[in-house]
Amino acid sequence: MTNPLFRAVSGLRRGLSGLPRLALGILIGFAMLGLVAPWITPYDPLAQDLLSARQGPSAVHWLGTDHLGRDTFSRLIASARTSLFGMAIILGLAMTIGVTLGSVAGFRGGRTEEVIMRVVDVGQAMPSLIVALAVIGIFGTGYWYMVLALVLAWWPGKARVSRGVAVTVMSRPHIEALRVLGASPARIYFRHLLPSTLGAVLVYATADAGALALAIATLSFLGLGIQPPKPEWGQMLVDGLPFLETAPLQVVLPGLALTLVVVGFNMLGESIALNRLPRPLSRAKLRESRAKAATWPKETTDVV
Amino acid sequence: MRGMILRRLRTSAVLLLLASMLCFGLVVAAPGNVAVLIAELRTPGATFAEIAAIESELGLNNPLPVRYADWLKGALTGEFGISYKTGQDVGEAMRNRIPVTGALLAGAAIFAVLASLALGFIGALRPYGMIDRATRAVALFGASTPSFFVGAMLVYLFSVQLGWLPSFGLGGPETWLMPWITLGLLPGAILSRVVRVGLEETMARPFILTARSKGLKRNTILFRDALPNIAPAFVTALGAQMAAMTVGTVVVEPLFAWQGVGELFLQGVRFRDYMVVQSGLLIFVCFFIVLNLMVDLAVMFLDPKLRRQGSRT
Repeated sequence: MTNPLFRAVSGLRRGLSGLPRLALGILIGFAMLGLVAPWITPYDPLAQDLLSARQGPSAVHWLGTDHLGRDTFSRLIASARTSLFGMAIILGLAMTIGVTLGSVAGFRGGRTEEVIMRVVDVGQAMPSLIVALAVIGIFGTGYWYMVLALVLAWWPGKARVSRGVAVTVMSRPHIEALRVLGASPARIYFRHLLPSTLGAVLVYATADAGALALAIATLSFLGLGIQPPKPEWGQMLVDGLPFLETAPLQVVLPGLALTLVVVGFNMLGESIALNRLPRPLSRAKLRESRAKAATWPKETTDVV
Repeated sequence: MRGMILRRLRTSAVLLLLASMLCFGLVVAAPGNVAVLIAELRTPGATFAEIAAIESELGLNNPLPVRYADWLKGALTGEFGISYKTGQDVGEAMRNRIPVTGALLAGAAIFAVLASLALGFIGALRPYGMIDRATRAVALFGASTPSFFVGAMLVYLFSVQLGWLPSFGLGGPETWLMPWITLGLLPGAILSRVVRVGLEETMARPFILTARSKGLKRNTILFRDALPNIAPAFVTALGAQMAAMTVGTVVVEPLFAWQGVGELFLQGVRFRDYMVVQSGLLIFVCFFIVLNLMVDLAVMFLDPKLRRQGSRT
């Protein structure tokens, strides 16, 4: 029997071929820039040079400099890294908590499910940004407090999705068969339920990543997320705001970069959602499968 | 129908109770002794006796359920206590600011509804025309653009370049326009797609064919038969966008220097002023729960299928 996780990944790969090239291009570019940022920025994104502060685009500073003389082009690239790493950490933690609790709820059912899902209900009754703000208001500002706040705000959604997937997987006949064959609950959970739940939730997570990027930038814009001097798009935008009149580029560029990345994630999520809908078989596909069925020997009617 | 409404009301009541416990628990679990903070605020270098006096004055030595009941009684009458940081009456500050936030939200919602209906109908009248394609692109980017970026761009366009509108402040009608548009533009773009797609789907249904064969004009059908059909979907989407706009006030109010609830909440978060965070969170969460309740009830009344189904049970 093929591993469900493998099946989910190969399904994702098959789905990727039908994705809009633009979204894929944006996201690959974003990931590449984020990964290699420290080695490709023409200047140190933190290096201040007050003598050349607030310059326009030139051959020396391609996209100009900010109010402290830091190279905007370098900072834009370095921000991609900040954003990428923040998203990876937060999504990883939120998925770990959400998938664990959600799949356990779907696996155990009954009282356990009831308790977990009520907690999820309360968590989902409020928009994630408000939850994150409240958590920061209690614990304070800082990188890891931001991570904590966003993980707390994000896990209920993941738990809900995983519970839904887990419940459908549990109702499939092969789980029933495993039980009849005497598989232990631990085996059913770890070998069969968890991998297929994880696969499906990973696919949904891409759709959600855009909202997370937006949340990180919004918190940083408000001065509650990524703290200076670490470069981040939302923070670059708020830094440039007082000089909007004379140097609009310092506001427009980080805003555009952020928007582009979020558009990429949203387009990806949308086409994944569309790909998951059952589509009627095309004529060519039908003919193909009929031809294939005709070659089967009469005795074996079941498809392995 | 009545059973359905009662059940829905009960769900909301339970959620409200849980949310109030969460808000209360947040401050109880917060690090630091509240009494010490207040004593320091009143007299720097307070003695233990003074701290103990404040503890008993605030009822901090009472058991938790009693403290919760006292706090809830206060919250229901609009008393949220004294801020530990600034010493101001939080309940009064919130009350003064609710009209500002209300005006911002109402204006933005009206703008979003009008814009989305207009754009959605134009799109449905001329499918795949210029305006249809433009709103589609705006809606796609709309879900992805941060509101602070939109606000900054509007300020640049209308204040810096054209000089038509003031870049911040709350005064005459000219100062209302930009915050409303900043908050309402993206929800409006998203809602216009709901209208447009809903109309397209409805126009493909058999009863529209019947209306066409009776000889009714396409535009008449669009307004008289198709519009009521998209109402439930539109109201649901509007509710979700209203929630998003409420969160947006935290960003938009400081951007335009409006003294609203969102701005106060943000100040509270920034300076870790627990009482302000607590009361702000409670107000927001109560608003979300009531909003969801109103949306669900409105959909029940707007959707004939739900109406009939409810009357049988």
